[in-house]
Amino acid sequence: MAVAGGPCLLAVALAAAWISAAAASSSPEQAGRGQKSINCMPCSRTYIGDEYLYTFTDQLAPHRGLAEMSDSGELCKGLTDAVEVPTLSELHRQLVGEGSHRRLVYSVKFGACQDAMVNFLDGYDAHLVIIEKLPNGVFADPFELQHFVERKVFLDVAVFGDTNLELPSALSNRSTVEIHFDLRPSTLTNCNIVIDLPLHARYPPLDASEHATVEFGSPDLLLRYRKKEIRSESCLWALKNLEAAPVEKAAWRVPCGDEAHIGFVSSITFLSALVCSMSIVLAALVF
Amino acid sequence: MASAAGSALTLRRVLLASAALRLALVVFGEWQDAHLEVRYTDVDYLVFSDAAASVAAGGSPFARATYRYSPLLAFLLLPNSLLHAAWGKLLFSAADLLVGLFIDTILKLRGIPEKTRMWSVIAWLFNPFTFTIGTRGNCEPIVCAVMLWILICLMKGRVLQAAFWYGLIVHFRIYPIIYAIPFVIVLGKSYAGPSGRPTLTMWSSEHHLQNNKASRREGPTSLLATLWDFLSNFITRNAILFGLLSGFMFFAWTGVFFYLYGWDFLNEALLYHLTRTDPRHNFSIYFYHIYLHHQQGFSSIQRLASFLPQLIVQLALIARFSRDLPFCMFLQTVAFVAFNKVMTAQYFVWFFCLLPLILPWNSMKLKWKGLVCMLVWMGSQLHWLMWAYLLEFKGRNVFVQLWVAGLVFLAANTFVMLMVIKQHKYTLLFSSPVKPGSKVATKKE
Repeated sequence: MAVAGGPCLLAVALAAAWISAAAASSSPEQAGRGQKSINCMPCSRTYIGDEYLYTFTDQLAPHRGLAEMSDSGELCKGLTDAVEVPTLSELHRQLVGEGSHRRLVYSVKFGACQDAMVNFLDGYDAHLVIIEKLPNGVFADPFELQHFVERKVFLDVAVFGDTNLELPSALSNRSTVEIHFDLRPSTLTNCNIVIDLPLHARYPPLDASEHATVEFGSPDLLLRYRKKEIRSESCLWALKNLEAAPVEKAAWRVPCGDEAHIGFVSSITFLSALVCSMSIVLAALVF
Repeated sequence: MASAAGSALTLRRVLLASAALRLALVVFGEWQDAHLEVRYTDVDYLVFSDAAASVAAGGSPFARATYRYSPLLAFLLLPNSLLHAAWGKLLFSAADLLVGLFIDTILKLRGIPEKTRMWSVIAWLFNPFTFTIGTRGNCEPIVCAVMLWILICLMKGRVLQAAFWYGLIVHFRIYPIIYAIPFVIVLGKSYAGPSGRPTLTMWSSEHHLQNNKASRREGPTSLLATLWDFLSNFITRNAILFGLLSGFMFFAWTGVFFYLYGWDFLNEALLYHLTRTDPRHNFSIYFYHIYLHHQQGFSSIQRLASFLPQLIVQLALIARFSRDLPFCMFLQTVAFVAFNKVMTAQYFVWFFCLLPLILPWNSMKLKWKGLVCMLVWMGSQLHWLMWAYLLEFKGRNVFVQLWVAGLVFLAANTFVMLMVIKQHKYTLLFSSPVKPGSKVATKKE
């Protein structure tokens, strides 16, 4: 229906869907609390983030939060019973660097570190999943991140939403990054994990205030695990929302052009092009 | 005989030394990419490689976002995924060496003594700009090599072969379309003598020093005369054959790839370049203007205003210098890059490969005019880079300063062009065909 209504309507619908998605996506912790916070997904599916951006591909469908994501409650039950799943004890996130290319550095610490964690990883394959909903004005380069996967820094990584790397913010949409980090005894030093996510700033819309401020919301952290011996016919990942407490806000100040410059910049640009071209023409005729 | 053997050896030595340099840089690049955070390899090279990998997997090169080249490039780089990731760099560096060889060939055809030729070849092969660009994985050396080969074909009277390559290279990189009119002009009535082959004007230092004015008189002197010359002259068999075959080649390649990859190809590899406006900072004077208007769009007057200086300069240069073809191509390229709406450092290679072709006709001494030109050009570029660094890597709002630096760089480009025009000895590439009455004069020559 929205498609028949033309691109404008579609854009409005997408924007509305995004806002509702953004509003809803901050709620899984609440939704999960009190109810069970463990869900399942089939092994055939790699990413969780496309659920978050479900609304991008089909804006008529209601947004589904993570808590409602179980694919099969019954099958899921057996998987999640009687396991002591590691919990998060600390999460810090920092925006590191200057200028247009920076890194979000996550520092994650698990509770009940020593024996419990080792026992858990003995019996289970486990991945830490970070889902960062990027604000408008910042993008992650999926091709750059792919090289991280090739170098085995990440297990998997995907960017959903607007992945055009060149457009300024005014002409682009938001995107979400999903990082999978393999949890092994060898990758955990003191149950502490540090993960770097390289990001790039888009050119912000014009503003007289010299810098546009781009603020990041809180990321979602999940633990995805399954028993090491897999029965192929009903392979399921258990997904546990780690219910990370909101992290400190990260803000990125991006220099922006000033609308007040339009007049003199355009006229002097054209004038200098004209003067230079005329002097070349003159030289060609005279010399 | 001895001198011929000596010259072959010297050119071979220069080529071998530059091949070794390039190989070492490719190896070093591999090491740097593996060990340091800052890559040696050009980002575009990763794009080409991904596109080639996509083709190798049976897909479209345009599946890789930001791949904006002819699919031919992805085909050329197929061994990147089949053999080794550095294949493309070796290919581009080989093209780079070929350019050196072609510079020597062209200057030899025009009668330049060996020593001068060698310095001209060295000006290309040991230009830090060029050897880093090829070894970092930029495809421009291929375009340069083909452009010089076309020039050689034209000089040797192989019009059909020149047309074949010209159509192909315009499909490949589009910008060489700016040479279409000068090519057609030199293929006019004065191109082929009675034998059907063109006669090249031979270089001679005394002749040029003494008869500089006289030779200038031979050339077209006014715009009107040239225009008339052009209109009455360009309908020749050679010009028509060249136009038809190169046009056919262009449309054939474009058609084949449109058939294979549809609108993805047409939008990304062709239309994108024709309509490209980049609001992100680059050397072009227009970048800030484009950024300031990106939310509201451009009026047709603004579009015209940014296109007009480019058009005027191109037409004036063609009208005045086209018969001194390498010189005309050099100036056209510098001007095209300087007045373009997008300008990045890789475009500079387009005129660096033509520069050695005009050096022997330039009376500018390195002390001091030559040095001043180089310093002005590089200084204004470094000045721009400083502001760009502050904007991009320090997050400082220096849009206005960066834009002014772009204007300064345009002024520097213009200054260098004026100096080069002033110090150049205008020499027709082809001597006018010999008229039956003046056989003695040619014999003497």
